[in-house]
Amino acid sequence: MRRIRKKHFLFATYDDFEKAKEVVGELNALDDKEDIIDNIELYSPIEHPEVNEMLGEFHQPIQRFSFFGGITGTILGFIFAAGVGQAMFTVQPQGGKSVITIPPDIVIAYEMTILLGVLSTIAGFLIYAGLPRRVKSYYDHEVGVDQIGVEVETHPDNNEKVRTTLEGCGAVEVRELTQ
Amino acid sequence: MSDYKMKDIEWAKINEDVLASLESPRKAFWIVLAVCFALVLCGAAAEIYQYNTGLGVALMNNPHYWQTYISNFVFWIGMSHSGTLLSAILLLTHADWRKPIYRFAEAMTFFSIATAAIFPIIHIGRVWDMYWVLPYPNQHAIWPNFRSPLLWDAFAITTYATSSALFLYIGMIPDLAICRDKAKGWRKKLYTAMSLGWMGRATEWVAFQKTYVLMACFLVPLAVSVHSIVASDFAMSMMPGWHVTSFPPYFVAGALYSGCAAIITLFVLLRYLFKFEAYMTPEIMDKTARLTFAIAMAWNFLNLSEYASIWYSHDMFEHEMLIDKFTGPYAGVVWTMLFCATIVPFAMAWKKVRVNMWAMFVISLLIQLGMWLERFQIVSPPLASNHEPWTQVAVWPGLVQMTITAASFGWFTMLFLIFCKVFPSVSMYEVKEMVYHRNKHGKQKLQDLDKIKDDMIKTEEGLS
Repeated sequence: MRRIRKKHFLFATYDDFEKAKEVVGELNALDDKEDIIDNIELYSPIEHPEVNEMLGEFHQPIQRFSFFGGITGTILGFIFAAGVGQAMFTVQPQGGKSVITIPPDIVIAYEMTILLGVLSTIAGFLIYAGLPRRVKSYYDHEVGVDQIGVEVETHPDNNEKVRTTLEGCGAVEVRELTQ
Repeated sequence: MSDYKMKDIEWAKINEDVLASLESPRKAFWIVLAVCFALVLCGAAAEIYQYNTGLGVALMNNPHYWQTYISNFVFWIGMSHSGTLLSAILLLTHADWRKPIYRFAEAMTFFSIATAAIFPIIHIGRVWDMYWVLPYPNQHAIWPNFRSPLLWDAFAITTYATSSALFLYIGMIPDLAICRDKAKGWRKKLYTAMSLGWMGRATEWVAFQKTYVLMACFLVPLAVSVHSIVASDFAMSMMPGWHVTSFPPYFVAGALYSGCAAIITLFVLLRYLFKFEAYMTPEIMDKTARLTFAIAMAWNFLNLSEYASIWYSHDMFEHEMLIDKFTGPYAGVVWTMLFCATIVPFAMAWKKVRVNMWAMFVISLLIQLGMWLERFQIVSPPLASNHEPWTQVAVWPGLVQMTITAASFGWFTMLFLIFCKVFPSVSMYEVKEMVYHRNKHGKQKLQDLDKIKDDMIKTEEGLS
């Protein structure tokens, strides 16, 4: 039977974004030198683009979801309204008017564009944010208040080096976790 | 008077204050809630009476089918505009003063739509046939007519209700996670389910900010389209007084205007009931009032252009209709509307008035009264000045219509207050962002000033 390797983390909290920025920079430098860090994750009460940039590029093309959702909505809106027009043709007298009426169908298609655009944007958000998910057992509630959490995934052998770096930048607390 | 600007509040204090609002509002909260509930009960009784007896008890008769109920519908749809639209526009323009107030404004949007949606159901009389407007299979050989603006309404309002509810919900997720971490009992279960496991990870924040901006981009044109479509209900008819080309922009401006006034009313109410004095500052009220004043001027311009275009059109029916509005049986309504919506907003030209909470509360109520009367004078006078002489009778809303109208205000306020008691009505993470960025920029400015000072001293030393 194959044994699943347990993941080992160090979770540090900071009371300042500057300290978090500093520690992420130092962890990156340590990883460049010794290649001992598997992943760094930042937890914060607000978004901080400068620190996020240091974590690497986030490839989240949510706008593609919006675009294709919107296009699908336009097409479905027209098909729907035209389909209703066709269905009405034999039931209600048209009085010489077109069976498929473009100007009023534009309104329906417009609303459907926005509706499906919004819904698909949210689908994109849930996919790229990895939600919904279970809250991690070691998640620190203070991260929702005023602390910034830095989670480092590393091999237990490298514990000391990483811990020293985390503490060196003024961590309020450093915890070791295995999952 | 409390501080004009928001102070440098600690992040933990922001959480503490907002979470406290969920637990212990002022006693007045329960009094207001009880009054609203009583109004809702009166409205329910009036509706049951009307349902059992027939629409005649509402004093609606041919051709006055659309009267107070549809005025209410337009009023509440209009009210729903400002919340989401202003929140989205101010988000896209990076106006940070929106942050403490946008959450309740978005909630106002949703509950206004929920209130507006009741009126077509009440107004059709045959409540049980409401589903006929939906595109259900053709079993009765009556397909909805998609060429009618009334059907566009069904699509637009459904889309708007869905999108603005999602916009409100998505924007609340980080705050729901904070509530989850502190709550107990049923609240804990509710917030855990609704926060979707949010932990404030960088990946979540990046996706969140992107999504929020994208949704705002969808919501701005949507909000404009919704009230344009409501305007089409009137403008696409051949009735004098309704068949006006400028109705869509006029309706959109009117919607924004009444919505802004509603934001001011709720601003003062929430500030007092939930003790949000530190967050809903006079500075924010000042900016909201300026915005309202600007929108009031736009609405007045469109109102005057409508009168002018009718006056110079030489269309005798429209002409007569306009004169009748100002001199006929509904003249009192029109002149009161002009006083409340045209004259009263000029009080906001003075800063002393703009930063006085209770003065703004009274002004906002008067503006809303004016805007409700505006909807009434759009709907009723044209019905009493129709082409056929036998229709030319002024009809006033009866007790049933007025009770249901009053109940709609109770219903809206009740839902809104319950929302504010269950969910955070001030965005905690956005206020933190605001405080953080203001501090950062403040420090940067001080550093720049110090540098300039040092440079000047060095230059002076060099000269001497």
